Amino acid sequence: MATTTCTLTLESDMLSSPINISASTTITKADLTTGLELIEMGRGTIAESDGSKTAEFGLPTALGTRKAAKLFLVNKATDPTFYIDVDLHDTHVGRLYAGDWMFVPWSMTDVAAEWVIEAEPSGAVCPYEFALFQEPQTLVTHS
Amino acid sequence: MATIAEINITSDITDSISFSISETMTMTKADGNIDLEQTTGLAQRTYSGSTDQVDLITIANENITVNGANKVYIRNTGTDKTKHFKITLGQAGGNSPTDTEEIGRLYGGDWMLFPYDAYPLDADDTDGTTVGHANNVDICVAPSSTDKMTLEYAVFHQ
Repeated sequence: MATTTCTLTLESDMLSSPINISASTTITKADLTTGLELIEMGRGTIAESDGSKTAEFGLPTALGTRKAAKLFLVNKATDPTFYIDVDLHDTHVGRLYAGDWMFVPWSMTDVAAEWVIEAEPSGAVCPYEFALFQEPQTLVTHS
Repeated sequence: MATIAEINITSDITDSISFSISETMTMTKADGNIDLEQTTGLAQRTYSGSTDQVDLITIANENITVNGANKVYIRNTGTDKTKHFKITLGQAGGNSPTDTEEIGRLYGGDWMLFPYDAYPLDADDTDGTTVGHANNVDICVAPSSTDKMTLEYAVFHQ
């Protein structure tokens, strides 16, 4: 069985009592204890001049609907003013500034649940890396 | 006042290609290198007796900067992989999902960390145009079971 472990270590000294979070999960198929078995990962670049785009990792598949996919995305830009605006379909999620990353579950509720990315501000060019973990897909009969 | 988050992912999904991912981010304010300075602190909520979708973070009740470099951490503290919290953005009104976009489902032990624009009703977009959202982009949750389920969360914000 494939085992994929995702660990977070977060430390903050904002408060007089520091916040220390240590979380680890073995990501599994929906409602099961067996691991996810499909991974897609890669690297891309988006420029402000590209406008908003559906990310290559952001297209839902019918076979992934309401399951247990997980998405990791990191903005590899180094200019601290460059950010990737991340939307889920038409809903604003947030901004990934240079060096920021996100790790979220993704339900792929329907074909309109795509991830949309946009580099900002004017002149920004943002390299990014991603990894998408999914349940295995059912093979289809060839044409 | 630094807040540093590190992720490590290891996987043996493939026999022939092993890999790991490791990234560290220092949470800073938008457009600069100044550390984030505000947080809700680490909090915990327990739900039972209902699977209704409810607000976890209600924008109107928080002092979170719109379009800031805010970050949200949420974890299902349970261990049961057959139970999950559905995490959505939008408006959880009338005990039903009236206008929400589902991000994903946190099964037992699962966690997430994501940037958060904290968009209120009809906020201005980055290009100055007004976004016609009918509702605030609150963070909403819905437990999959009426059994007792707990999650912990924190918002780090400008």
